[in-house]
Amino acid sequence: MAAPTVTAALNATSYAPGAQMLLTVTYGDPDTKTLTVTVVVTDAQGNSSAPAKVSAVIDPLTVTVTDDSGRAWTRVSDNGTVAVYRAVA
Amino acid sequence: MPRVTVTVRDSTGQTATAVADYTLTPPVLGGYYLSGNADPTADISGGNFRSLTQYRSFADSNVFPGYNKQWLLTLGRSGMQMNMVLELKHYGAGDPGPQTFTVDGVRYTVPAPTMTIQQRPGSVWPKAYGYGQVIAGQCDGLFARALSQYRTLGFGVNIQLASELDTDNEFGTTEAGKAYTWAESDARAVQAMAYIVDWFRDRGLPSGTTFSVGVGGFDRASFKRTHPESLMSRLDYLQWNVYATSASDTALARFRRTKDWAVADLGPVALSRPVIVAEWGVRVAEIPDQAAWIATVPPAIARLNTERGPFFARTNYFNSGWGTLSPKAAGLAALRSAYARPPYV
Repeated sequence: MAAPTVTAALNATSYAPGAQMLLTVTYGDPDTKTLTVTVVVTDAQGNSSAPAKVSAVIDPLTVTVTDDSGRAWTRVSDNGTVAVYRAVA
Repeated sequence: MPRVTVTVRDSTGQTATAVADYTLTPPVLGGYYLSGNADPTADISGGNFRSLTQYRSFADSNVFPGYNKQWLLTLGRSGMQMNMVLELKHYGAGDPGPQTFTVDGVRYTVPAPTMTIQQRPGSVWPKAYGYGQVIAGQCDGLFARALSQYRTLGFGVNIQLASELDTDNEFGTTEAGKAYTWAESDARAVQAMAYIVDWFRDRGLPSGTTFSVGVGGFDRASFKRTHPESLMSRLDYLQWNVYATSASDTALARFRRTKDWAVADLGPVALSRPVIVAEWGVRVAEIPDQAAWIATVPPAIARLNTERGPFFARTNYFNSGWGTLSPKAAGLAALRSAYARPPYV
């Protein structure tokens, strides 16, 4: 199994009290794959059902964000490779 | 320095981590000025007002704390941060002739001011001690007198030299019969400001003493001329004033304007200095709902302080002239509310 990778970038290095802070997390793992299983049922007469699809993720990743000042970070978006978190300075 | 740590974990427990450090700027000091250098104690009571602007002329015999200004001692000793604007300008009251006085046993004679400033056509040009007079050492007695008084205050202040050099020099200056253009006046002013800062710094100053040079900040070329790195290395703060005088003026745009010029035009030393806004105000003639405009200032300052460049450290509302609060009660309530929100807390 390969190890995951991650980078973290803030939208600023210095924040005024009350300012919005944005954290962009870019992450991935070579093993992570999304596969789609498609099921079609066919009877003896050759009638087929509509295809039914279901997705599964192989080696899924979990992302956790902690802040040593106790600031709470809230996830704003996550597309599987880039996640954006928000906090208030 | 706070640190945020991101951990990614896969299904087998393998992890990767990344960190990002950040700093938090201190709360901005919300401040005030009351017309006529008047006692602001009643207006600011109960509010988060932590900064005050005051104006004095070096020509006056009582610079610190100022004539009939015992209240300034009370406020200063309670932690109010003072921005003392000290001007070469003669305020016109009293005799603008030569002065002879004794400071700590030393007799000084200071000649009459020989410069005119603010030479707007059709107006009466105020007198000021000349940039040349300063550099020639003729005004050292004025500085000695102010310093002697300053040492008795019991707290350090920011000394802002000049209120607005751009306003003073905009229409040129005249010293001892010789006329100087705006640009020439700016260059001479920079030399004189450096002389004064050096004069004070060469002597014992109360702890917490800082320096800045005053500008309105309305002219980009002048702003650049008056902020060379050689001068900024002597100063602790940048300074400019901010007014809304048009119905379309937003707080963000008005506070941003001079900052953008600083970022574009000034050197790294200047950009390392935080900003004191000695005066900000919203003119009721064009913007009748002053309170609503004031309410937009905290988010504007918070946003600007996240952007590249110097951060706003103090913003002092100018309840006088263009900034006169009318009705006063509603304006003061808006200021109280604004200063109770981030980035002021």
